[in-house]
Amino acid sequence: MNTATAPESPKLTAATSGFVLAAAIAALFNTALAWARDAYAPLNGIMKSLTGNSWTAHCLADLVLFAGLGFLFMKTRAAEKIDPNRLIGALVGAVAIAGLGLALWFAFV
Amino acid sequence: MNVSTSDAILLAHAGFGVMGCLAALWVFLEALNAQPGNAGRTRAAALVTAVSMAAAWICGGYWYIHFYPAEKALILQGPWPFAHNLFMETKEHLFLITGMLAFLLPVVTREKLDSNAAARKLVLTVAALIVITGLAVEGAGAVIEHGAKVALLRGGAKGDR
Repeated sequence: MNTATAPESPKLTAATSGFVLAAAIAALFNTALAWARDAYAPLNGIMKSLTGNSWTAHCLADLVLFAGLGFLFMKTRAAEKIDPNRLIGALVGAVAIAGLGLALWFAFV
Repeated sequence: MNVSTSDAILLAHAGFGVMGCLAALWVFLEALNAQPGNAGRTRAAALVTAVSMAAAWICGGYWYIHFYPAEKALILQGPWPFAHNLFMETKEHLFLITGMLAFLLPVVTREKLDSNAAARKLVLTVAALIVITGLAVEGAGAVIEHGAKVALLRGGAKGDR
């Protein structure tokens, strides 16, 4: 990288910041939905009735939430105001909590 | 040689997953040395990551729905039931996070990485998360397959007696 000719800019575009925030929220939602499906069997039945398989419905819910929130945050420029370092911290924290939350839940619950 | 449809789909799932992890590692390395000259290559690698993970998702999802129930029953009757109860249950949900991160990568690599330190840090973070969660998912896949293998081997050994 040539720092002498390219000044550093800490800003992220509305699309980038919006989809990063959406990914952090969708990762946490994914784990919460996995817990809910495991703890409350009728939810699996409802999700299975929607797509024929509860896991397929889970995938679609995650993707719709990720894409929907991403476009919403991009249009409203809501996530653009968040400091990029905080946004990165939120994404790492969300993925770590979501991943460990899944492993610990299925190991001990 | 007798390779069934189930075998081919399962191997394609694992193969595309590895390809996605390697492509994410490629993005990570390009971002470490971000210059105007490698921006196109970085975006291409991000696209390869997303496409590979999407293919792994489709192959894995199809195999999980159509072929896994029989293997699950085998694993649960074998000596390694945790291969399903812990590893498959975690894998089938953790992979969704890896997939979403892979779809995020082409979006974040559209930033000017050579002149934006925050964007470069973000790309490095997303690529690293894909590699870490992707390798965890690959490892879980190996444990699940070994769970089925020990169920067959030890079940077969019992049957021979």
